[in-house]
Amino acid sequence: MKKIILSALVLILIIAASGYYYVFIYSKNRKFDMEHAESMNIKADELVKAFQENEASANKQYLDKVLLINGVVGATAKTQAGETSVTLSSSDPFSGVMATLDSTITSQVKVGDTIDIKGFCKGFLSDVVITNAIIQ
Amino acid sequence: MKTTALSLLSTLLLCALTITTNAQKVYATKTGQVFFNATGGIEKIAAVNNQTDSKFVDQTGQIIFAVLVKGFKFENQLMEDHFNENYMESSKFPKADFKGYITNVKEINFSKDGSYPITVEGDLTIHGVAKKVSTKGTLKIEKGQPQIEGEFVVKIKDYGITGLYIGDKIAADASITINCKY
Repeated sequence: MKKIILSALVLILIIAASGYYYVFIYSKNRKFDMEHAESMNIKADELVKAFQENEASANKQYLDKVLLINGVVGATAKTQAGETSVTLSSSDPFSGVMATLDSTITSQVKVGDTIDIKGFCKGFLSDVVITNAIIQ
Repeated sequence: MKTTALSLLSTLLLCALTITTNAQKVYATKTGQVFFNATGGIEKIAAVNNQTDSKFVDQTGQIIFAVLVKGFKFENQLMEDHFNENYMESSKFPKADFKGYITNVKEINFSKDGSYPITVEGDLTIHGVAKKVSTKGTLKIEKGQPQIEGEFVVKIKDYGITGLYIGDKIAADASITINCKY
């Protein structure tokens, strides 16, 4: 009887420890492998047009998906948080694709460069917003 | 002839003055910050959005803040997934925004550096539900560049957000802090 109680206690302890590890340690330190993630390829101009023409439909297709976006750098800047943002131009001068680079990435891109940016699509405000981005 | 020329010149000067007086400036940023904090217990439930889109007009005080809900970053990925899927339903309601006015914008001298108290009133839309809100904040002018800081406290359930732990581990009232440099 004692053995059964002890085994049950050990089992509960293991389950609790595993749960704690998953929720508070693994989930906190887990980093998405953007470089090797599968992605959808699209041109910056096509992406902007898709959101401008039908935002609901574009959200269904692209929201939270990993995209590999090809385009010409229209602007680079630092965000208030100190991250680098790169905006790819589209045929609409008021709208583009604004990608915030992963904080570990240092970028040497210049305005006018044609580049591929890979990151999560978060939706559309003035620009299509991409986060956790890397340059490929 | 001289009188006619003088009158014409005066009229042109008056027109130019009127245009200058009425010229309004729109300040904008796409990389403002919105902080969210709904810590109800020991565990910190907080996130930041660094891609906040905001614009305001100096003459009228008209102001807008907009964020993409999926753009909020938590320290804990699991918490971020729960926030989006179980509470905010961010695939269904991808945006949250505030549209309103700085009601005392006339008290701000945009050409003079300083810290000006502001009152902001308008509609805050979260989770597809719009509510009238009013809050006080600060508009700072430094070297001609404005920065707005302010805080809204919202009752989560007022915005139709339901789910386990609200009022327990998740605070019933969440604070939304804004910091935008234009």
